[in-house]
Amino acid sequence: MENSTEDYKIQSFDLDTQMLLKTALKDPSAVNLEKVSTIIVDQSLKDQVFSKEAGRICFTIVQTEAKQNNGNVFRRNLLNRLQQEFKDRKETRERSLQEWVCFVTFMCNIFDYLKVNNVPIVALVNPVYDCLMRLAQPDALVNEEEVDCLVLQLHRIGEQLETMSSQQMDELFFLLRDGFLLQEGLTSMTRLLLLEILEFRAGGWLLSSTAHKYYYSELAD
Amino acid sequence: MSAWAEERRRGAQSSRHDECTVPSRWSHCRKRGVDGSLRTNRDAEGTEKEKYRHSDCRHSSFTTPESSGPVSRCGRRTDWGSQVEDDEMRRDVQKDMQRYRRRILAAEGSQRERKTSSGSSGSCDSREGDNMETDEAVLLRRQKQINYGKNTLAYDRYTKEVPKHLRQPGVHPKTPNKFKKYSRRSWDQQIKLWKVKLHAWDPPTDNGQDKVLDNIEELGLDDVMDIELDFPTLSDSHSASASLNTHGILLEDEDCMGTPVKIQKTEISAQPDSV
Repeated sequence: MENSTEDYKIQSFDLDTQMLLKTALKDPSAVNLEKVSTIIVDQSLKDQVFSKEAGRICFTIVQTEAKQNNGNVFRRNLLNRLQQEFKDRKETRERSLQEWVCFVTFMCNIFDYLKVNNVPIVALVNPVYDCLMRLAQPDALVNEEEVDCLVLQLHRIGEQLETMSSQQMDELFFLLRDGFLLQEGLTSMTRLLLLEILEFRAGGWLLSSTAHKYYYSELAD
Repeated sequence: MSAWAEERRRGAQSSRHDECTVPSRWSHCRKRGVDGSLRTNRDAEGTEKEKYRHSDCRHSSFTTPESSGPVSRCGRRTDWGSQVEDDEMRRDVQKDMQRYRRRILAAEGSQRERKTSSGSSGSCDSREGDNMETDEAVLLRRQKQINYGKNTLAYDRYTKEVPKHLRQPGVHPKTPNKFKKYSRRSWDQQIKLWKVKLHAWDPPTDNGQDKVLDNIEELGLDDVMDIELDFPTLSDSHSASASLNTHGILLEDEDCMGTPVKIQKTEISAQPDSV
């Protein structure tokens, strides 16, 4: 079953790049995969929409390359670039909250999609937790952007993360409870998001129907 | 140092290849460069002259036979790309092990019914289930060495040319079995020889294939697998290899101390000007 290229959300790229990406998806050996991974990562750090879905296109290219010639050039380049961005995360956050948030979103999206034998990449577990815990710090909880990012990731990959390391998830939620209860200066939106994620996890990464009604019924209109 | 002796040295260091980034004289035979990207044919000429030298890679004879070998200064790979590959390899090795165990147990079951009371047995699989190599570090190292040999144009051409059901034992190279118990030296030697045999399927160069013969003599064959150099019929003829004959070689199977068997094979199949 082939995804139409609209699924990959590549509309924000210029046409030449879109062509390059489409080729990479069908015939990885025909393109410079290092260049492709650079393009994808660069865009993910700038484009919020793309950062939320880039994992999908990455996964397809990885699979296709493996099937085509047993290679993993793309994956290796992608992960090592990601690692570099992770190393520089402090500077990135200081420079631009938006870029920092995009980075976390992208990394978590990669964690979600790039599985090896259906198991998430072990090397990413600690870095992801590191980022989420950063987002749960007091100086981050005052920024709605960062809280928004945090809860989005927990919705998407919280359960998987907990499976990989429940101890770190516990630590993260200690921070979230503290933030919710004790921190001053949080907007009501932020408190709402935190409360919802606390209930979500408590419900086994599922929201009860009544809780769902409480948090999301307004959106139906 | 002759070209082939260089290759032999390189072969011994194959388990640490991924930490040595200097291109070797025989890079043109490798399907992939050290960064994983596929080599195209045009890379062939450029690397011929480069001398292979890397201070971290020492000959395996530096180690005592049973030790785990010199510790690479590069250490465990910490970049994420490599970590994922290592995890993948670990998982694959585990899967391989389970599959192998099942195969052995199945064979053991049917063997017991057929075993005779005579002293030597042709196949020693009867106790192999208990006598399997299970140390993960060893298996991973061996797997890396095997991967290095499989990551060659020669292997690619070989597998395309000779499907498994047409392979004749002794005639066609066979990948060493990483699950069997062997000493470090024996294993490394088997890998070396396997790769030498594979070179018969190297993409054609101007030099021809006759250098393989000299290499066999230099190797010093003590406890090794059988060597029968029956070259395949190549579409471009290498007439130099036609008049090849192997010398008496002692065959010793490490597992079953059966009677040593001398193998001598002088006949070359379908060579135009065979002696």
